[in-house]
Amino acid sequence: MKPLVITVLLLTALTGLLVVLSRDPARQVFALAANGLMLGVLFFVLQAPDVAYSEIAVGTAVTPLLYLATLAALRINKKHP
Amino acid sequence: MNPGARLVIFLCALVITAPAAWRVMHSMPTFGAATSGYADTVNTLAPPLRHVSNMVAAVNFDIRGFDTLGEETMLLCAVVGAVMLLRGSRGEQEGDEAGLLAGRADIARSDATTLACRVGSTALLLFGTYVVLHGTVTPGGGFQGGVIASSALLLLYLGEGYRCWRDLIHSTVLAALEGIGALVFVAAAAWPLAQGHPALDNLLPLGKLKDLYSGGVIFLLNGAVGLAVTGSFGQLILEFLEETRSPEDESEPNEADT
Repeated sequence: MKPLVITVLLLTALTGLLVVLSRDPARQVFALAANGLMLGVLFFVLQAPDVAYSEIAVGTAVTPLLYLATLAALRINKKHP
Repeated sequence: MNPGARLVIFLCALVITAPAAWRVMHSMPTFGAATSGYADTVNTLAPPLRHVSNMVAAVNFDIRGFDTLGEETMLLCAVVGAVMLLRGSRGEQEGDEAGLLAGRADIARSDATTLACRVGSTALLLFGTYVVLHGTVTPGGGFQGGVIASSALLLLYLGEGYRCWRDLIHSTVLAALEGIGALVFVAAAAWPLAQGHPALDNLLPLGKLKDLYSGGVIFLLNGAVGLAVTGSFGQLILEFLEETRSPEDESEPNEADT
């Protein structure tokens, strides 16, 4: 295995660990985005640019946004159950 | 069910599935192995038979195109379900402002932010279109390009703010994109059937290898999926961001809180 692949694999594991360890949902969303980005980089390093595109767009932009919007909606509408 | 019984069921399931899982894991290609039998076959057959240089597009839209038809329909159903669920409880009316947490200052965006987001979202939209159009030639394709193009909407929201964004983005346009994309895909599957060929048969002229138009029906389906994915993800983003606008009945007192 190339050193680059090992580094990116370790970084993916590290960011994944951060997702599990962060308890505040708002922080967790950004950890999730970082994990998505590292996964995208990993796919790119493993020569799968197709999957890297989708992973970076979905995992780093769209999914965290959906979570952030949900968290914001919950906090804004707390008074209006 | 008590934990003991659960553990017993888990152990039974483990005993049954573990040998199969073990065998599958050991017959998988080693980590980082660049080729497999299927990949070699596709790499050899697709360029002469379909005139495409992106094998992933050849597999997705031709060799296993029927699977993609299912995925496409699944995405459509998922987004329709999410929209019905959210809009059903919220109503179709539009609010005027983004919601704001009580006690948090409403800071206006700087011109630099707006400019950067406008430039960035235009570039993203262009790049997404490029990825869709060159799906048969270079890595990427309908799904990837569609997601990139719809994430341009996010930057637009960041730069313009809720009101302006809501004036720019129309749910009907997104729904039309989504519907047209899915319709083109279904039509491309049904048209050969009507002529007595298998569904999704590649009847269009194949074009030249490594040209922008190459692959016949692959190019068409790429574009259709690009439209559908842009519409679907745009619609999803719109519905979720609509949830964060300020509630209409702001003045209505709520006894439960006092």
